[in-house]
Amino acid sequence: MLAVTFLVAVGVAHALTVREVATEFICQCGCGLTLANCAHGECGPRDQMTTAIASMIASGKSKPEIIAAFVAQYGEQVLAAPTKRGFNLVAWVTPFASIAIGAALLGLLAWSWAAHRNPLKPAEERAIPTLSPQERERLEEELRRLQD
Amino acid sequence: MNEFGNTALLLAFAVSLYGFVAPLVGVRTGREELIRSGENAVTVNFLLLTLATAALLYALLTRDFRNAYVASYTSRDLSFWYTVSALWAGQAGSLLFWAWILSAFATISVWINREGLPDLIPYAMSVMMATSSFFLFLLSSVSSPFELLPFRPADGQGLNPLLQNPGMFFHPPTLYLGYVGFTVPYAFAMAALFTGHLDERWIRATRRWTLFAWFFLTLGILFGMQWAYVELGWGGYWAWDPVENASLMPWLTGTAFLHSVMIQEKRGMLKVWNMVLIILTFALSIFGTFLTRSGVLSSVHSFALSSLGPMFFAFLAVTLLVSFWLLTVRLDSLKSPHELDSLISRESSFLFNNLILVGAAFSVFLGTIFPLVSEAVRGVKISVGPPYFNQVNVPIGLALLLLMGLCPLLAWRKASLENLAKNFLGPAIFAIAGGVILALLGLRQPVALLAFTLGLFVTATILQEFHRGAKVRARQGKESYPLALVRLILRNRRRYGGYVVHLGVVLLFIGMAGSAFSVEKEAVLKPGQAVQIKQYTLRYEGLSQYPTRSALVNAARLMVYNSGEPVGILVPQKNIHRGHEGQPMTEVAIRSTWKEDLYVILAGFSEDGTASFKVIINPLMMWMWIGGVLLAIGTIIAFWPDRREQRRPGARYVVG
Repeated sequence: MLAVTFLVAVGVAHALTVREVATEFICQCGCGLTLANCAHGECGPRDQMTTAIASMIASGKSKPEIIAAFVAQYGEQVLAAPTKRGFNLVAWVTPFASIAIGAALLGLLAWSWAAHRNPLKPAEERAIPTLSPQERERLEEELRRLQD
Repeated sequence: MNEFGNTALLLAFAVSLYGFVAPLVGVRTGREELIRSGENAVTVNFLLLTLATAALLYALLTRDFRNAYVASYTSRDLSFWYTVSALWAGQAGSLLFWAWILSAFATISVWINREGLPDLIPYAMSVMMATSSFFLFLLSSVSSPFELLPFRPADGQGLNPLLQNPGMFFHPPTLYLGYVGFTVPYAFAMAALFTGHLDERWIRATRRWTLFAWFFLTLGILFGMQWAYVELGWGGYWAWDPVENASLMPWLTGTAFLHSVMIQEKRGMLKVWNMVLIILTFALSIFGTFLTRSGVLSSVHSFALSSLGPMFFAFLAVTLLVSFWLLTVRLDSLKSPHELDSLISRESSFLFNNLILVGAAFSVFLGTIFPLVSEAVRGVKISVGPPYFNQVNVPIGLALLLLMGLCPLLAWRKASLENLAKNFLGPAIFAIAGGVILALLGLRQPVALLAFTLGLFVTATILQEFHRGAKVRARQGKESYPLALVRLILRNRRRYGGYVVHLGVVLLFIGMAGSAFSVEKEAVLKPGQAVQIKQYTLRYEGLSQYPTRSALVNAARLMVYNSGEPVGILVPQKNIHRGHEGQPMTEVAIRSTWKEDLYVILAGFSEDGTASFKVIINPLMMWMWIGGVLLAIGTIIAFWPDRREQRRPGARYVVG
């Protein structure tokens, strides 16, 4: 019984709304915004599409089914983001892959540079082993000024 | 006056061509007088463009409707300030405005540096005049602001109502100041490559220009966001529109440049990388104009396909080819004498910061052009909208936020464990504790929680730096703590101005993270009915209609209650502007508090007074604008001339 109550609650919590589906599409009026955000005062394509979404939700269609129906009607360009398959993966993967490869190369380069230099002791250890706290503060202030 | 303006433009074109060629010939032949004459040409170009701009402004203000540009962008009922803004509202006017700013910057930069950098000046002014020649060619041939109509219309078509907003008065000029400002460091970088004099002088000579350009580009973007928020009426401020992206890309690479030049000034490293960054930043500024003006991608800025596209593309191609060819030729001379000492150092953290910034620029670029790529490769038209950009850029943005906390406090050369613990242990504990408290308070959205936690971390690192510096000063100088804090900032403007900028960026991130908790509700109300959204109740009191000088205003009046207490009246409007009857304009009503914005849109109404509303609660929006103000203040602090700086030959550069 508890499980049923939980499932019903989950079902209620995830009841599909027009807005939830509308964020998946680009308004076909040319505004470039998602269907949920098209702010034109009067917009035929927006009203037509949101009405269609509402009636599909009412007839019990799921989000993927509505998306499929819209793609069949308007083509892939109705989707607000490229699908994550086929050639479109280039758009999804390349930015992260580039940064990851760049980071790996940078890391390797930095490591190899550092490895080929004489090992340095951390600057603070070498420079100020016996300074009093006051002297140390003063040195830090001087360094701060120097850095600017 | 139109003939006068046209003549000034044609003369400016001829003079800029001369200013492009004469210094180069002067250097090649050793004729000093040609170089001096080129400098004068730069000034004359500025004077002629000032006359042309004044002529167009005069035509706009006197409503000279014989002028096609004036007839297209003004009308008799347009107010004075919006008439002035018509100068940059259309293509021809904005190109003229661009060329005028460039001529002013060229003149100032040449006259400031002619004594100090005599070897670089001829090439730098040649590059700036080549750019000016390109814009003047467009203005003289395909997009003249002085084109005449065969008749004089009784009235003009008026300014697009969307552009009749204070934000639009400031947004384009600040953006242009940013775009054009990057021409100066680019020109001096090219001069360094041409001459082979690749030391840090070109960076020192142009660092304030870089900061100036970055400042105005940032302001331009922020003004654009504010305009979108209050004027477009969809409840957001950034739609990842191609033209918005066009301004973000040079900002990202420009920010990377701003940081990486510090490494070159401090350690003589990253010379090639800095060249690449300034070339990319300049090219992306031109690319932005290409996108805006070519119409190759559909945009909320809705510019039609124009013949300017191919010309901009050609200019861009030539710029990139020449710049990278020069860079390749000078590659050996740009080799750095220094290398990284450690992976854990400020230098390497700046490299990662650069990687992330350039990676973000690349992801925005890829997303922006991907519809074209898809059509070319697959023959399938697709859209790349906000869901894509948000999914890709949010993780990149969070990585950037983390690095913003780490970079400025890592030691140069090699950070010790002691350095790491001293600078980061406290802020890390503070941030984690803050994150845990937020989670316990019910904040469960993981991305927003991470953003807030990182924001706390960065804020703590910065405040810790202020506190430590002020404490030492107060103790040594026997000053009061507040006085020591003020003097600390004034005596180390670049460093602490940079920290203030970082604080501003943190607040921007906080504001953006707040968007994750936006709530909205739509309601159709008759007068007297109310809608409830979270703790707010909005009671619709009725609709009034009245004419103004240029529009018929339909204003709905809503009494707002916060937890039952009346807190004010909101009046969202839907206005029908004369000459734009088919495009009713939404004027949103916003009630801002430090906690959230109550944002009301009048979506529609009927004759019986029934009105439909969209009500949105946008948490933490005000912090984003405060962040923008902090960012501006920080940049001004960093930019402000410091007399002592001139006495420090190895002075380090800005935003830390």
